[in-house]
Amino acid sequence: MNATPPIVVPILATPFGVVPLPDVEAHNPALNELFSARMRAGASAVQSSPLCYRSPDDLFERPEQPVAQLAAAMVRGVATVVRAVNDFSEDQLRSLRPEARGWFTVVQPDGGVPAANYPLTAWCGIYCVAAPEPSSTRHDSGVLRIYESHFGPMFADATTAAMRLPFRPGHYGWRPVPGQMAVFPASLTHEIAPIRSREPLVLVTVRVRFIGPGQQGVARW
Amino acid sequence: MVSPVLNVNPLFAVPFGEARLAACDQLNQELEALFLQRENAEHRNPTPSHIPQAETFESRFNLFHWPEACVQELRRFMLDAVARMVIETTTLKAEDLGRLKFHNHTWFHVSRYAGSFIAHNHPMASWSAVYCVRAGESVAEHPDSGVLRFLDTRQGANAFTDPAILPLKRPYAVRPLDIRLAAGQLVLFPSYVFHEVAPFYGRDTRITVATNCWFAP
Repeated sequence: MNATPPIVVPILATPFGVVPLPDVEAHNPALNELFSARMRAGASAVQSSPLCYRSPDDLFERPEQPVAQLAAAMVRGVATVVRAVNDFSEDQLRSLRPEARGWFTVVQPDGGVPAANYPLTAWCGIYCVAAPEPSSTRHDSGVLRIYESHFGPMFADATTAAMRLPFRPGHYGWRPVPGQMAVFPASLTHEIAPIRSREPLVLVTVRVRFIGPGQQGVARW
Repeated sequence: MVSPVLNVNPLFAVPFGEARLAACDQLNQELEALFLQRENAEHRNPTPSHIPQAETFESRFNLFHWPEACVQELRRFMLDAVARMVIETTTLKAEDLGRLKFHNHTWFHVSRYAGSFIAHNHPMASWSAVYCVRAGESVAEHPDSGVLRFLDTRQGANAFTDPAILPLKRPYAVRPLDIRLAAGQLVLFPSYVFHEVAPFYGRDTRITVATNCWFAP
């Protein structure tokens, strides 16, 4: 038997980044209070139910200092992931003009965020402002669940079903952590699984695209 | 503007079947009583493939082996519909199908407040079907409460949109399909289609029976 180990590499891989935003984390209590105030004031919502409030996507146009700082940090954070998965030079990166839309979501216990993806968008970033304690009975409580994006492999056996990351088929779950932002391609369908804890989950989502010099065909959002 | 003759047909279509069991009230009442009676550890699926949750009970996959008359009546209705679906959508004739061995895994779900089921499909099966025993309460403030949602198989197709493709109509529209099941309703689809149950916010119960089928020479 040939003892030479095989060369195994992931192909068709999907980038998923986790970016700590420590400068923003310090302002999480202020952000939380701002968002609560907007909800209490009855600000219009894109999606609202007793268990989930999603603000309009003009959050990053708000004048409050913590929001402005958050917006800049989130876009910079997405750019660090872009840089990590490309071979851009510094000059090339600087030549790209980011466009971003952001909103906040407050998910109450027993609530979730239905699955979605974002057309005309390259990257999605989800920053956690506040998170409930993990549930002792439901390990997927409140996780960001990114749906399997490959064509569903309909044949499975004991070996294909047990592969480890990054080869494992199926959804991927990430538990939001205050002060951290998940970054992934915006074409991926994702959801926030129902929360089985007593506290709400507060998130800020940004959708970002980078316009290259002279690039055409990118319609307005 | 010229008006060329144009033939437009759906490509890569997904067959989706629907049937109704007539006069099903009595049957559904018997099924509901039986399922609630057996909503216990003995009948719970011991090897769930997805995250178990207190709000949704999943039975073992041997439901159609139960001898009770109500179960056997439902078995005939569901499996006959699956066979009809195969005949309608394939080149097989009834006699061809009759020569195949027809396998199924069948179970029931009882969902209560905030119960849901993660998006999934069913490897190693060809056809799936869901029958509604009890739809559960509709909740005005949660319009998608308990809907059976089918995810579009054309992943990524909506990543670029413009005003000329965004308003695509069925069957061309690229978006999920939500079905609010009614008691007695059966839906049938290929097992490769991802589907999920949105959180159910009724104060009563939502009860369904699901089957995965496969055939062998």
